[in-house]
Amino acid sequence: MRKSVLNLMAKQVVATAMGNKAVLLLMWLVVALMVYATITGVATFRTQTGIRKQFQQEVRKHWEEMPDKHPHRMAHYGYIAFRAKHPLSIFDFGVESYTGNAVFLEAHKQNSVNFSEASFSTGLLRFGEMSMATILQVLVPLVLFFIGFGLIATDRENGTLKLLLSQGASWKEIMTGRSLGLMVVAFTFLLAALLLLLTGMIVSSAGFTLDGSLRLLFLMLTYGLYLAIICVTAVVVSAVAARARAALAGLIGVWLLFAIVLPRTTQAIGTYLYPAPSRIAFETGVEKNILQLGDSHNPDDPYFKRLKDSVLKVHGATSIEELPFNYAGFQMREGERMSSEVYNRHQQALLRTYEQQNKVARLSAFLNPFAAVKHLSMAMSGTDFQSYMRFQQQTEAYRYRLAQHMNELQIKLVSNKKLLPADKPYSISSAHWKAFPDFSYQGLTGAAAIGAEALSLAALLFWAALLTVLVSSLSKKLKAV
Amino acid sequence: MLFLLIKNFISSRVVLTGMLIVLLAGLIGIYNGKRHLERLQASIEQTAHFQQEHIGRNIQYHNKDMGLLLYYLRFAYINQVNPVNGLSIGQRDVNSSIQFINIRNLEAQKYDTDLYNPVNLLAGNLDLGFVLVYLFPLLIVAVTYNLLSEEKEGGTWPLLAVQSHSPVRVLLQKLAVRAMAIFALLALLFCIAVPVLSIPINQLLLAVIGLSVFYLLFWFAVCFWVVSWKRSSAGNAASLLTVWVLLTFILPAGINNYITAKYPVPEALATTVEQREGYHAKWDQDKRPTMESFYAHYPQFRKYPLPDKQFSWLWYYAMQQGGDDDAREQVAEMKSKLRQRAAASKRIGLLVPTLHTQLHLNTLGQADLENHLGFLDSTERFHERLRLHFYPSIFEEREARAENWSRFQPEYFTENPDLDRMALYLPLVLITGVLVALCWFNFRRVMN
Repeated sequence: MRKSVLNLMAKQVVATAMGNKAVLLLMWLVVALMVYATITGVATFRTQTGIRKQFQQEVRKHWEEMPDKHPHRMAHYGYIAFRAKHPLSIFDFGVESYTGNAVFLEAHKQNSVNFSEASFSTGLLRFGEMSMATILQVLVPLVLFFIGFGLIATDRENGTLKLLLSQGASWKEIMTGRSLGLMVVAFTFLLAALLLLLTGMIVSSAGFTLDGSLRLLFLMLTYGLYLAIICVTAVVVSAVAARARAALAGLIGVWLLFAIVLPRTTQAIGTYLYPAPSRIAFETGVEKNILQLGDSHNPDDPYFKRLKDSVLKVHGATSIEELPFNYAGFQMREGERMSSEVYNRHQQALLRTYEQQNKVARLSAFLNPFAAVKHLSMAMSGTDFQSYMRFQQQTEAYRYRLAQHMNELQIKLVSNKKLLPADKPYSISSAHWKAFPDFSYQGLTGAAAIGAEALSLAALLFWAALLTVLVSSLSKKLKAV
Repeated sequence: MLFLLIKNFISSRVVLTGMLIVLLAGLIGIYNGKRHLERLQASIEQTAHFQQEHIGRNIQYHNKDMGLLLYYLRFAYINQVNPVNGLSIGQRDVNSSIQFINIRNLEAQKYDTDLYNPVNLLAGNLDLGFVLVYLFPLLIVAVTYNLLSEEKEGGTWPLLAVQSHSPVRVLLQKLAVRAMAIFALLALLFCIAVPVLSIPINQLLLAVIGLSVFYLLFWFAVCFWVVSWKRSSAGNAASLLTVWVLLTFILPAGINNYITAKYPVPEALATTVEQREGYHAKWDQDKRPTMESFYAHYPQFRKYPLPDKQFSWLWYYAMQQGGDDDAREQVAEMKSKLRQRAAASKRIGLLVPTLHTQLHLNTLGQADLENHLGFLDSTERFHERLRLHFYPSIFEEREARAENWSRFQPEYFTENPDLDRMALYLPLVLITGVLVALCWFNFRRVMN
């Protein structure tokens, strides 16, 4: 391929795009939307981060200020964990609006993560959110299709294609050149997005880290590849179509299928194939399993009776008051361990079901590059399903640690003697509360997040390879008329 | 002439494929709606069954201790599901339709969400509402965008214009043929949906149908308006698709961003913090102020004095009550914030037909935010009834046997939606009217 021909082909594309008033209007509209998405994204990030930080600090302060008391009371006082937003969440909102933001962590009970933006929504949210990611994923391709549909088809219609070919330009050169030209337009959008994102990150004072920069770099590469795929698709369809009108109809069809129809359909198929339990079914399932093991609320439960007898036997005691440690704490520790094991088993099964539901959409990336970029983008922005699961798992782990720590304190420090109604309740020093660390969410590293999305990355590369092969095979077969 | 127009239209491959796709999507939508309703129904039945079992088991263990028994016992309160919800799932997938609560601190319980896969919510439900709001307009665009331009580009227009007295009439006839086909498809889908979802034929259903018809008429007007610009087929297609993207994505999503940023709800998190502090702090405080505020809330319980013990259920439930009372201000603020959001959405929706239609479909299906807020309010009253019923038995330390437990079956909340036809149809009718006037103006200017 000759550089000068490619250059010429590409330049014509840019000139056509810039010369068309309607296209220019659309391009400016997209840029304006990007600005709007950045402003609202940053505003929401700042308020939400501020609110959550403030409450997280308040919760910690209250926790540390708790006076001397019985450790089990602290286990019930519990902790509240708030989900922190990833700095890049201003770029891609992902599933964040649909996941809860606060969870109350207490002994014996796994509470749901509540107060998602979706639960506060009027139904408006279901139309989608305006984030820079959705603009790049959905709207920019549409604009590129509007610019690209005629790039070869129009030349064919008005006979210039024949002229070009007779003057010595090869099909490969025409297609590559046109694609490159369209990519110039596409990358201009990407550059605008990058600049806006950087500005947004500075304004939102989220701070730059090495990990953040790696994520940002990878995001840009992903979107670059995605938009390149879109550009080549437009040119290929335009080259194959007999008329410009047919090319436009085909591209609109492709866009509707990829961006609107397939995402919903694949997810619906996943839900159909792997039905998930309702809350009540889940709760009754957990409770049933726990009751099978032993019911710590039942004073005559055989499991806990046996446990008591064996403990008494080991210590050569006749009653729990003779034991050298607090038996109630010991029993609760055992109960917490058992119930948490059962709960975690059910919870893991539930999350696995969800992952299976999502798998259909993830695999569809090989049919639909939109799905690939969507998953990669959410993963890089820390707003994907993986991050949601991690938050849930880490809060549950923290809850368990907290409950068991309080049980340990009770076992070691609280007397076994039964109190008389008028006695002062047992209590231990408040220094123990301060010694228990605060909750802090540990996100995936950028590299690990990329690794978790290897499938989507493979799908995107598959598409790039497929189109490269297609272009070279088409350039041998295509006719000028 | 008309016959020819019909024949021409039906033999088009694009039209047939498009209609088949929408029909298929509609059937899937109805099926998904049915699954949604069945799932809710199964949950409700399971809850009712579980409640009986749960009460029975706990009475067995804690018969002598009413305070402890009521610590554990949970009672179901259910947001009645209307079959119309099967047409538009709305917010019913994220907001739980079942409250299963004990008589302790309500603020710690009532926001518990249902279990759901957030990715499913992100993708959105494929219900009939989606087919109506998103896909039907595309079909209308596909069958009308070249109404005039195909004649011009095919060279048949001058012939038609000369032959016919009023060329616009030919266009109107062509439009009418297409409208009949589309409305027939809509009617077919409703005819299937009504028996499949067991929707009773009443005013509510009529309102849904009316809303759908006016919504589609609006889209016909949009298309005819674009046709009246007399541009090329490609130009029309691009313009109409842009309008579609504007109405189904850009405007609603942009408004959503605006409302989220404009009305943040920190009160929700404050409620969680407050109710927990309110309740737990009281363990370490003097008992008298706790009791005083309890008696102030319920003067009728002043007759139960605080027993002279380290722990008593009277004091315990007074503390629990304190948690709710302390969070009251935050709760009221949160609700008013959410109602503001709902009102703002509907207000803006008056100008955006897609938004208007979707929000009102949710309202008619009793699946919108207002319905959920109403359910939460009613849950508070249900909870209060339970408290007032059980407090005396707890404070008098009655035996559990004395209570008639079979009475405690799940109770239901039913919302009576007010069908304000004006509010429902008028915005669509007005916008459609304006578009029709614009069409008339455009055609009159050049054709006469």
